[in-house]
Amino acid sequence: MSFEDDPTGTYVGSFPKGFGYGPEETEIEGATNPGEEKPRILLMGLRRSGKSSIQKVVFHKVSPNETLFLESTNKIVKDDISNSSFVQFQIWDIPGQIDFFDAAFDSEDIFGGCGALIFVIDAQDDYMEALSRLQMVVTRAHKINENIKFEVFIHKVDGLSDDNKIETQRDILQRATDELADAGMDNIRLSFHLTSIYDHSIFEAFSKVVQKLIPQLAILENLLDIVISNSKIEKAFLFDVVSKIYIATDSSPVDMQCYELCCDMIDVVIDMSCIYGARDDGAFDNESAAFIKLNSSTVLFLREVNRHLALLCILREDGCENRGIIEYNFKCFRSAIQEVFVARNKQANKSTGHPQMDHLVNGQIDGTLDSGISSQSNGMLGAAGGHSFLNGSVRRADDDDDDD
Amino acid sequence: MNAIISLCHFCELHGPKILYCTQPFRPQEPNNLDGDEAEGNISHRLKSTSVTPSPSADIHTSTSFSGCAKDQCEGCKSVQTGFVSHDDEAQVSYVSTQQPYNPEVFARIRQACIRSLSSEVCPGREGPIFFGDKQCGHVLSYTFYVPDSQARGMHRWYSIMIVMMDKIYLLNSWPFLVPHMRIVIENLQNKAQKVYNQEEAKCPQRPLRLGARVDPSNFIKQRGGTKPARSLQELTGDKNVFRMLHVAFLWILKSCGNRITETLLEGPPTEDTIIDMEKQEETEEGFIKIYMRKVGEFDAIESEANSDKTSVEKKEPSKDSETEMDIISGPVIKNLRHLRMILGSSSFLSLAHHVVVGNQVIVSGHQRSLVTSILNSLKGLLPKGCCRVVPYSTEYVESYKCNFLGLSPNVLLSQHVILSEQFVHLEIVEKPALSSPKEAATGQGFGWSGPDSDISDADLDGDIRLRDFQFNITTPFTLSSRVPTVLTRMVMALQNKNLSQEVVEAAFTCLKEEWMNKVKVLFKFTKAGGNRSEEDTKKLLQIVGARDEDKQLLKFWMTGLSVQYRTHILSSSVHR
Repeated sequence: MSFEDDPTGTYVGSFPKGFGYGPEETEIEGATNPGEEKPRILLMGLRRSGKSSIQKVVFHKVSPNETLFLESTNKIVKDDISNSSFVQFQIWDIPGQIDFFDAAFDSEDIFGGCGALIFVIDAQDDYMEALSRLQMVVTRAHKINENIKFEVFIHKVDGLSDDNKIETQRDILQRATDELADAGMDNIRLSFHLTSIYDHSIFEAFSKVVQKLIPQLAILENLLDIVISNSKIEKAFLFDVVSKIYIATDSSPVDMQCYELCCDMIDVVIDMSCIYGARDDGAFDNESAAFIKLNSSTVLFLREVNRHLALLCILREDGCENRGIIEYNFKCFRSAIQEVFVARNKQANKSTGHPQMDHLVNGQIDGTLDSGISSQSNGMLGAAGGHSFLNGSVRRADDDDDDD
Repeated sequence: MNAIISLCHFCELHGPKILYCTQPFRPQEPNNLDGDEAEGNISHRLKSTSVTPSPSADIHTSTSFSGCAKDQCEGCKSVQTGFVSHDDEAQVSYVSTQQPYNPEVFARIRQACIRSLSSEVCPGREGPIFFGDKQCGHVLSYTFYVPDSQARGMHRWYSIMIVMMDKIYLLNSWPFLVPHMRIVIENLQNKAQKVYNQEEAKCPQRPLRLGARVDPSNFIKQRGGTKPARSLQELTGDKNVFRMLHVAFLWILKSCGNRITETLLEGPPTEDTIIDMEKQEETEEGFIKIYMRKVGEFDAIESEANSDKTSVEKKEPSKDSETEMDIISGPVIKNLRHLRMILGSSSFLSLAHHVVVGNQVIVSGHQRSLVTSILNSLKGLLPKGCCRVVPYSTEYVESYKCNFLGLSPNVLLSQHVILSEQFVHLEIVEKPALSSPKEAATGQGFGWSGPDSDISDADLDGDIRLRDFQFNITTPFTLSSRVPTVLTRMVMALQNKNLSQEVVEAAFTCLKEEWMNKVKVLFKFTKAGGNRSEEDTKKLLQIVGARDEDKQLLKFWMTGLSVQYRTHILSSSVHR
């Protein structure tokens, strides 16, 4: 895909039209409140550090090689990502040549409504200049908005050897935190990620950035924990299907290879249903499910949660005996997620018009919701009991998968 | 035009930069001290080294460049000194430099440059946009790209901006400015495209860049970070590109300034000016088209009658005056006072009476200039909208087509015209050399002869020649003995010897305007309000101060209302 030929593509829309998902499921999602401010993610960094490439690769499915032909960004490019009720934000790609703290710009406006600031450092280049710029950006942005979360992407690490990667990260981390400490800003926490657009590291890093902007993250993680403990699952991800960002995972640590496996599985499922699917308008719908056995006695399991989200699980082969239980537990999980959506829509309606007040109100609801969900998820079936009388349903599920 | 045109570009290393800037300087402009000084310096420097930069200047450039390499690269540089052109006639100097030297101006241009390239979004990316405010000036900016095989994305962004404080002027000049900016831009792009195609044929960039990607160690060296951006000269393959831009910008500034001139209008326009405006319609080439009213073809006839002399389209708004100028040879009547003097007060009064109530006035005679000048003088009695003139014709034109008709003397009026039409005929006859006016007068049947007793020898030059003519007025139609109020007032003004000609004209304008307003009231009353009884109309006339003898006049003058006013009244009455 060459998007040089598409002059408007850079500025409008978030996804190519080919990724249409079919009709809008308004009954689950509810209408987005137009007055609601979407959290904003700023992409900053020196010129040529790879900001536009990241944005293109993650959110526009541009092939990494194609980013070599991107033109330099000359103005702030705003990109609306609003796939699901959870993943709703704006990416602002900010050109590195221009100092937006200059008096000519309204820096209050740019940084005021900002949720996260991603600073991209080119690891293949001399990064001293980038570090001084980072320090300047962080201190000034922090002055304007104390709630900004700062993320540093040590980018283009595909060109470095493994030792070199570790060394570079250590060095950058050391220098950056030292400089901040010198400036008396030790209270600011920077998160560092090693990224490259040629592998999945950029998706993983972006996932972590996005997760911090989801207020319901704790509930989602809690739900996933309950699911895996009750279903003998090793690892579960809640994925945004189009961007392949995972918006939540269980509390066990994320293994990069597991994540890559899951990403690849989404690609396989989408490609398969694009080719053989019954519907023309979308590859992913509420019937979407997949079950892949690997020869390493690992099983991958995908189920649709809503229009944009999918649950991906990794489990041992012997855990699959009780697929009926997994199926049942998944249904519980899905209804719980939908409850979270309903609660979210309610709180959106309750908006007081004052962000601080909203926050308070939302926090309260989240708390009550949390207890409600945990009481509900007690209804999930334990892996040990009951699978003997669920055999029939397991077989039926098998048949379904064969049809897929 | 009081504007600055500048060329800006988005530098890969430095962001938006001003590249080139053309501004007019006027010596009489009251400048503040430092501005003046800077300006003087520039023009002085420019005069000494101008147009052809010497090789020594080039050396100086390279040395200074290495010094401030961080600040400026090849791509951000245009001209070392600049160009200047003097327009001696208009007392304007056009100066092109890389940046404006006046710090205030620089700040404005810089601000506009950043906005044009890095803030404002143009739909379709390439194209003209307008932005700005009172403080920073108003900007018409045209963004475009120039192909560059070395650049990221294979092209670089440029913009041409016109910065001006006068928003109305700038927006009104849009239809002129944008196409001409486009010509300049297309010129640059075509040149650059040629260079790009050549380079691409020699060494295609796509496989080169993709190939470079394969080997990671190579990639670091391949990255374009150290490569300086190329200058516009190099991109277009034209060393004189900035000289060309200087000429182009200068031309745009100068011709745009000539395009629109401002006229100060005092008070609301009179009915006459509105009529004039309706007759004119500006065409794209800056000519004035004669406005054709759909209802009557009077203007069309007018131009037909003139077609031997003038074309339909011409620069002068008033064509009658021009025709008149062409044939200024014989004796002429200069104005109404003059005419009154020639004709004598009583016959003038009856002639004028015919004129103001709308009867057709036919003037016939051999001397074309004399005939038209009489008609032109008589036109002064009527609002412009009521005048339908055929200055000189060789056949009779019906009264519904014109109320002022100049005829050649050998045209005979047919019997039915004499019987049915309401007209007054002024015949200009050359006197037989020795005949006395008295004899001529007795020769006439039922008209008045123009007694020339009023003319004294001390009068104007033309009068001597005019003494050779005899003016006979005939009409089949008798007017009421009472003269319309406005005409009595006009005649009073003419009679008053203390008033100069200008004052008389102003008084006429006032009187006509006053009565046009009454006509408007009557028009609105009759047309907009539906059926009105005789009683009501009488009452209304009483209120506006019109008497019975004015009725006919008011009715006639109603035909002279501007189209604008008519449509306004009629549409507003429809709404109700």
